Amino acid sequence: MSDNAPVSVVVVDDHPAILSGIEAWFAAARRPITVVAAGDSVREAWTAPGSTADVVVLDLQLAEGGPAFGSLRRLVDAGRQVVVYSMRDDEKTALNCLDLGAATYLTKSEGRDHLVEATLAAADERPYMPPALAGALGTNTRADRPQLSVREENVLIEWFQSESKELVAQRLGISVRTVNSYLDRVRIKYANVGRPARTKASLVARAIQDGLVDVDDL
Amino acid sequence: MAAEPIEGPRSSERLLILALERFGVWLRSIVVCLCGALGVVSADAAEVPLALSLLVPAFLACGVRLYSLRRPRLFPLALLWTLDAAVVVLTGLSQPVIGGEAANVMVEAMVGISVVAFQYEWATRPVAGAALAALGAGVSVLGDVLSSPGQGPDVVPLVRMLIQVGLSRAAYLIIRGLARAADRSAAVRAAARREMEVAAARRATEREYLATLHDTASATLLMVSQGDGRDWSWLPPRARQDLEAMSAVPGFETGSVDLAALLGCVPEGEGQARVRLKTRIDGPLAIPSGPGLAIFNGVREAVTNVARHAGVREAELRAWTEGDGAVVELSDAGRGFDPESVPARRRGINGSIIGRMHAVGGSATVTSRPDTGTRVQWRWHGQALAPQAGDRAQATGVPHPPRAQVQHTADVRFIRGRLLYGTQLAVLLISLVWQFTISLRRLVVHQDMYRPAWAQTAAFVCLAAVAVIGGAYLLRGRRIPPRVRWLSLGSVLAVSAVCAFTLPPEQSTGAPDWAFGVVGWHALFLLADLRAGVFAAFLGAHVGLNATAVFLSGEPTVTQWAIMGISTIGSCGFQLSVGVLMTYLLHGTAPAAGTAAAREEELRTRERIHEDMQRDHKERYRALTATTVPLLVGLGHGVLSPHDEEVRLRCGVEAARMRRLFAESDAVLDPLLNELRACVEVAEHQGVTVSLAVRGRPGEVPVEVRRELIDPVAVILGRTRSTARVTVVWTPRAVRVSVVSEDCAGGRGTDEAAQAPGRATNAQVAVERTIRGGSVWVEAGWRRPAASGVDLT
Repeated sequence: MSDNAPVSVVVVDDHPAILSGIEAWFAAARRPITVVAAGDSVREAWTAPGSTADVVVLDLQLAEGGPAFGSLRRLVDAGRQVVVYSMRDDEKTALNCLDLGAATYLTKSEGRDHLVEATLAAADERPYMPPALAGALGTNTRADRPQLSVREENVLIEWFQSESKELVAQRLGISVRTVNSYLDRVRIKYANVGRPARTKASLVARAIQDGLVDVDDL
Repeated sequence: MAAEPIEGPRSSERLLILALERFGVWLRSIVVCLCGALGVVSADAAEVPLALSLLVPAFLACGVRLYSLRRPRLFPLALLWTLDAAVVVLTGLSQPVIGGEAANVMVEAMVGISVVAFQYEWATRPVAGAALAALGAGVSVLGDVLSSPGQGPDVVPLVRMLIQVGLSRAAYLIIRGLARAADRSAAVRAAARREMEVAAARRATEREYLATLHDTASATLLMVSQGDGRDWSWLPPRARQDLEAMSAVPGFETGSVDLAALLGCVPEGEGQARVRLKTRIDGPLAIPSGPGLAIFNGVREAVTNVARHAGVREAELRAWTEGDGAVVELSDAGRGFDPESVPARRRGINGSIIGRMHAVGGSATVTSRPDTGTRVQWRWHGQALAPQAGDRAQATGVPHPPRAQVQHTADVRFIRGRLLYGTQLAVLLISLVWQFTISLRRLVVHQDMYRPAWAQTAAFVCLAAVAVIGGAYLLRGRRIPPRVRWLSLGSVLAVSAVCAFTLPPEQSTGAPDWAFGVVGWHALFLLADLRAGVFAAFLGAHVGLNATAVFLSGEPTVTQWAIMGISTIGSCGFQLSVGVLMTYLLHGTAPAAGTAAAREEELRTRERIHEDMQRDHKERYRALTATTVPLLVGLGHGVLSPHDEEVRLRCGVEAARMRRLFAESDAVLDPLLNELRACVEVAEHQGVTVSLAVRGRPGEVPVEVRRELIDPVAVILGRTRSTARVTVVWTPRAVRVSVVSEDCAGGRGTDEAAQAPGRATNAQVAVERTIRGGSVWVEAGWRRPAASGVDLT
């Protein structure tokens, strides 16, 4: 997808105020983003017009009950790019979603600053790392986690702490670009481990193609 | 002799030595005076003046020695030793003067018992005791030689005397060893108990101090940090009061107070915060000052709460007596609240009202429901408290060790048990040694006198069996079962009877009578744990049997009676005195030792508590001197103005620091987060939006590290005007606490965060600061101990 092509989105969230808020943010985006469908059920993503949307913004906590990991898995298995957008601010859920193949994981408190960019990145199959997710990855102690360098771990944690790449760059004496490249590299490393998914594979492929990572790094 | 309580012998040993010394002196003096008097009476009229000139000085020497027991430091030891030596020499020399068989027996008894008694009199100076024993031996040899010229000295009585002296010393060493062991193990247990009591007292004081801090400095600083442009005229006196309250060591108030008078002084607040109190108090209500102040301070805090939260300007304060205690109740008709929903960190109710009452042994309850008003009730009862932290504690100002009585009883029982074991061992040793040396020799030498001889031999074996069976129980650390005890005692009495009736009556208590002097020791061993009366009854039976045997065989002569009488006094009388001594040790010395130990222990505990309280207090005060104290001093003397924004910011920071300090004592799973929240709440109270996020699995962090990790957050939040983000990141290697403020007031605050003044800078905690435009980002990191050599950055 070219960098300025319009993006179509289906939003699944059971709170009307949040739906309208998201629509407003998308409408104000620098690149055209069209909400083709919105509703309180995952059905919106499977039926026209939502079924053809480039990106699915999915609230993990729908009225039905527990976290909708099943819905997420089916969407990912169908090759859809899913941005999980959740009230839950815990690392376990974030790591699970990433393992299932979600494009990214955003907490609702991060929405204003990060949802638009995360959606565009998902549409382009590029990595995106919001602070809450960075915190989860930086403190991940699971056995199947990818090997991170000390610097990568530090960048993750400091990005989580400060929510400002400028501050991180200043503290570490590097450029914001470098900060980003560390974050991207970690995201790719995560896409390369755990449960195989088409979305993950395409993320890795795109990263190699863009020169974000070397094949040797993985 | 009274050594330092810690360095020298402890209570049991000290009192044991004292009791034995008294026993030795009294026994010897009585024997010398009685036998001496008998000797003078039985002497020829011509010899009386010479005998008197020898014996009267001996009696006087005994008198001086007895007097010295009452005034131990009056006489030099050398003088006492000389007096003792003089008694032995004078009584020994009286033997040839008086003359006759009776004199021989008498002097032998006097010298024999004196040398035994010297071992107890001079127990702590064995050389002096041994020298006196040697002197006694020499004197008795000299006496024998002088009274029957031409005959060589008889070795047998000499050896017997030495055996008795050796046994006395051994008995003393055994009993002292066990008394020492009892002292040692009592000291170990007491030390453990002391640690517990000291810790409890420190915790109670800590709670009280925190509660005081909450109501005084913390409240004042919070008010200053929040307010602007109001009337601050109340502030200087209040700040000065707070300083006073902070510097006073809590728990050292004394005496009792009139609660009614105290409650009459509860401040109603001023201006908008005023609460009109309708007071109904049935005074006077005299209660100890500890609970009195706790109630007063609690009521003060509760009245402030009415002003802050209840939404009414009126409350009712009532107080009345109930039993020997007091009840105080504050009620309002305001909005009320759900006590369940008040978080543990809210210190107003938990610390100032409930915790403070618990610390002094009373109780406080808060009854409230939304929309039904609130009722707070304080109760204090004198009797419920008396056995523990009661009046005595108030009088001395230090909490009294609880359950002291129970422990005292346990200590006494323990000491008594050890002393009993020691005396039993000693008597068993005496029985066996005596039987197999002195008695065995007599039995073997005089075989031809017994009719029949086998009966005496069987009796000897039977007596040995009794000692061995009893000894087996004792050495395995078990009590002798009652049946075995009474059977054994019966056997001993049977031995006495057999020996009395199979011996020629004229030889009774004489040299061939091996049993007469030894069965008493066996009986004493069996009856050691009973009162001396039981043993006296046994001795009565024993002597009675022997007298009957003599009497049945015909009328004995007066001299025979006299010799028998003196022998009886010399052996059975001595045994009885030992029995009485044992009863005294078990029922007099043991409780006294327990009491003395308890008193020493209490003194030590009190000293420790006092020391620790002073030190803790200094420590706490020092922690506040660098930060809170200068602020309060400035506010109290008008140097710092609450109109100055910088001052208000500093007050906010200090208030947050104090809130964190209060949260330290909460029992929660994640204390770091709990203390962090306490700071965050202060900032939120000031209208700052704070987002708090945690990543990773929480772990243990020592309290002093937590202080340093959180302090930057307290400082930055105290200066933040609108928004801040606080995070905690736990990695396996480190914990990192970070705060980002989007608009931090004043550059000084950030300096303060990097290097909090007045705190011991802990190299373990690394603080890093980044400033970019209006944003300030401070992070404090601590490397967790499990990790090795991993750099934080």
